[in-house]
Amino acid sequence: MQEATFLILTALADGSQHGYGIITEVTQISDGRVRLRAGTLYTALDRLRADGLVAVDGEEVVEGRLRRYYRLTPEGTKVLAAEAARLQANAAAALARLRPGLAGGLA
Amino acid sequence: MSEMTALERGYRRILACYPRSFLRENADELLAVLLDTAAEGQTRVGLAEAWDLVRSGVRMRLWPAAPRPRAVRAAVTLMLAGAAAELAALITVAVSFWAVRAAAARYPATMDAVLVHQVAVLAGAPLAIGLWLWLAWANGKGEDWARMLSAACFGLLTLSVLAALAQHAEADAPATMIAAAAVWAIGLASVILIFTPAACRYYGPRLAQQ
Repeated sequence: MQEATFLILTALADGSQHGYGIITEVTQISDGRVRLRAGTLYTALDRLRADGLVAVDGEEVVEGRLRRYYRLTPEGTKVLAAEAARLQANAAAALARLRPGLAGGLA
Repeated sequence: MSEMTALERGYRRILACYPRSFLRENADELLAVLLDTAAEGQTRVGLAEAWDLVRSGVRMRLWPAAPRPRAVRAAVTLMLAGAAAELAALITVAVSFWAVRAAAARYPATMDAVLVHQVAVLAGAPLAIGLWLWLAWANGKGEDWARMLSAACFGLLTLSVLAALAQHAEADAPATMIAAAAVWAIGLASVILIFTPAACRYYGPRLAQQ
């Protein structure tokens, strides 16, 4: 899974968001390191919807602009959880090898 | 306000890169996000965001989002590898063209046959590269005709390899035969992949959804 995809799913993990909301959430989650561009976001959303990981959760018009909300599907939640566990296991393994004495504390 | 509309017009022009089916459903929303993320007082579309939109739109056109089975993705990757192998053959023959001519001149009887082979690769490889890329693209989209055409091309490839073997090319030109065998193996693997049961479900019914 690409990092942008992982961060988009993470942004949706605790509730539905509209496009602009996802972009700001991703910036926040990644500590300002990943700034999603709209084109990238919508390509990813298009694919995530086709794969059944994300679904549309209603829309509204704010100040004349259309906002569509997205949420994780149960399948999306499952995939994100599996990916997060995988990354965590990898990170733990890396830390354990870097500092054998401190691995428990850091992980 | 007129500033805003100039920017909006700029965005709309670039959005033409996207497939119409995507725009019908998402253009207003995507435009809203673009305007939301635009800097205060911005009147023109920035180079980086224009590039991002063009790239995303073109990608969506080439490969519409649909759950692609792993077998199909692997087949597409292999077909791109096939194109790369042909490109490698083309470069090898082009770079060594005069050296090979000089070497062949020492055996006058082989001059014509070698020239025919060189010209065949130089003329045929670009076609083969185009064919591999085209088939990779169309198979990725789940076009059923692409699957049939791939199988047919693989059949022709097999015949040409068998014909070369019948002329004992493996003794005369071992390097060429190894390259041909590699390309043949890539073709075989990709054809097997696109006819696996998982791939078969991807071709066909998906077209009705679109």
